[in-house]
Amino acid sequence: MTLLKISNLTKHFGGVQAVNDVSFSVNKGEIVAVIGPNGAGKTTLFNLITGIYPASNGNISFKGTEINGIAAHRVAQLGIARTFQNLQIFNNMTVLENVMVGRHIKSKTGFMGAILPLGSVQHEERDIIEKALEKLAMVGLADKALEEATNMPYGQQKMLEIARAIALEPELLLLDEPAAGLNSTETRELIDIIYNLRDQGVTILLVEHDMETVMEIADQLVVLDFGNKLAEGTPYEIQNNHEVIAAYLGEEGLEC
Amino acid sequence: MKDLARRKRLRHSLIALFTLLIFALPFIITNNYYLSVLVIIGIHTTVVVGLCLLMGYAGQISLGHAAFYGLGAYVSGILTSTYEVSPWIAIFVGAVGTGILAYVMGIPIFRLKEHYLALATLGLGLIIHVIFVEEVELTGGPSGLSNGIPYLSFGNFMLNNDFRYYFLVWTVALIAIILANNVVHSRIGRALRSIHGSEFAAKSLGVDTVKFKLQVFALSAVYASVAGSLYAHYITFISPSPFGMMTSIQFLVMAVVGGLSSIWGPIFGVTAITVLTEGLKSFMYQFFPLAGGEYEIIVFGIILVIIMIFLPEGLTSGLANTYESWRYRKEKADDAPKNQ
Repeated sequence: MTLLKISNLTKHFGGVQAVNDVSFSVNKGEIVAVIGPNGAGKTTLFNLITGIYPASNGNISFKGTEINGIAAHRVAQLGIARTFQNLQIFNNMTVLENVMVGRHIKSKTGFMGAILPLGSVQHEERDIIEKALEKLAMVGLADKALEEATNMPYGQQKMLEIARAIALEPELLLLDEPAAGLNSTETRELIDIIYNLRDQGVTILLVEHDMETVMEIADQLVVLDFGNKLAEGTPYEIQNNHEVIAAYLGEEGLEC
Repeated sequence: MKDLARRKRLRHSLIALFTLLIFALPFIITNNYYLSVLVIIGIHTTVVVGLCLLMGYAGQISLGHAAFYGLGAYVSGILTSTYEVSPWIAIFVGAVGTGILAYVMGIPIFRLKEHYLALATLGLGLIIHVIFVEEVELTGGPSGLSNGIPYLSFGNFMLNNDFRYYFLVWTVALIAIILANNVVHSRIGRALRSIHGSEFAAKSLGVDTVKFKLQVFALSAVYASVAGSLYAHYITFISPSPFGMMTSIQFLVMAVVGGLSSIWGPIFGVTAITVLTEGLKSFMYQFFPLAGGEYEIIVFGIILVIIMIFLPEGLTSGLANTYESWRYRKEKADDAPKNQ
């Protein structure tokens, strides 16, 4: 079943074609990786899907609904969560509070309820804490819950972003370079977390530079180069695709 | 989570202790002048608590809050003196009206960010101030509204002296603090803080950042309006001058000095600045006999710069951090013998 379908997606910033006529789809339960050299348009693609800015042209359909041009917070409410290449941790909060924000759309206390927290509000608050701790445990940060997020090392902040994103209980999770800056132990943990999420039915679309990781975990790959889709296929197909090898290694690569 | 429950208990006992202290104060301080200063501190605290929700938690800025303060005062003043409406109803009307106005005016204003937002709120404040000055028939113009704003009263019990008014003002201020405290530690408070932390990430988590900015702006305007009404019924005379840009800046300095992201900050900030201003009135005079009221802005400017350099989180957080590091050192010293 197609969960996300991207058709002829184009985005230009002034004269720069960041994404040019890209089409592909993501099936439910798959792990799909978008790869490509720096500046290939991977992060732009993520920003288009999550509604940070609208596409210049083309369509993005999620579960059959057109989401291009919808505000970012509405996209999240529809069931798409993401992490960021440049960490966007809430530095003014504890680790637990960061993840609790992730429960925002799953809870409903309004301004009035916040001002006068009666029984049902307190009950919801307990539920939020419980769920947030559960997500923290999934990424191995349960014992850090009350620490200030800003004091955590980089690798743990990346895990925290994942915990925060999955607190939304999204159907589609977008991970922007999750392995960047992680050491090999942390990368191993990350892979386990991703598999774990997939087993729970979360579909994952990720951008990643670490080829070893990508080839190991992805079911499908989409290769971008200068905003264009160069190829699409299983890791095996991509590894043997001449155009891709040329884009990555230069023409000489083919001669090796 | 035991730790969380412990923190919550600590917050509640702090509030209880503080309430006790506040209500004991007028029995100790009987000097009328000091009491009147404390009443003004209570009124300003209410405004600044709202401003801290907006600035410290949601990370937005307002240089126009004196206008909302003024709106509360004028709505109360005009309705009670010209139209003889019950003061309590007038306060309510002022608060709701100001809240709605802030929300509606916020819709275009909050498309802006940072410096531009600051300028837009400054402009909004100036426009409202001009209305206070120019709508002579309604507001009395520059000479003010002097045809008898009544004292507040509960039945026959009139709040016509500082001692009585003190209790009303500080009850309102404490309620303002407690409600703000509730907001901060709720889903809404976290959403507001997430906007401050990273608006980008907040949106990606489904937080409707525009809506929350408007709501907190409106709430802080309601706080200012209620405080303004209390001011009007305390002084029983209002003119445009206390609701100008200078007052907006004063509120801002109070908020920053107290510490923006602390719900206790406003009390410290307001007290520090009010005591300082009152002190300056008698002190500056001796050095610069010709100095007008405007020298205050120089002092505010200097304070703002000093706080930003040395205690960027304000007095409350600054002091709390000093205490934490002291406790940490002490704990280490206490632990040392055991380790041997």
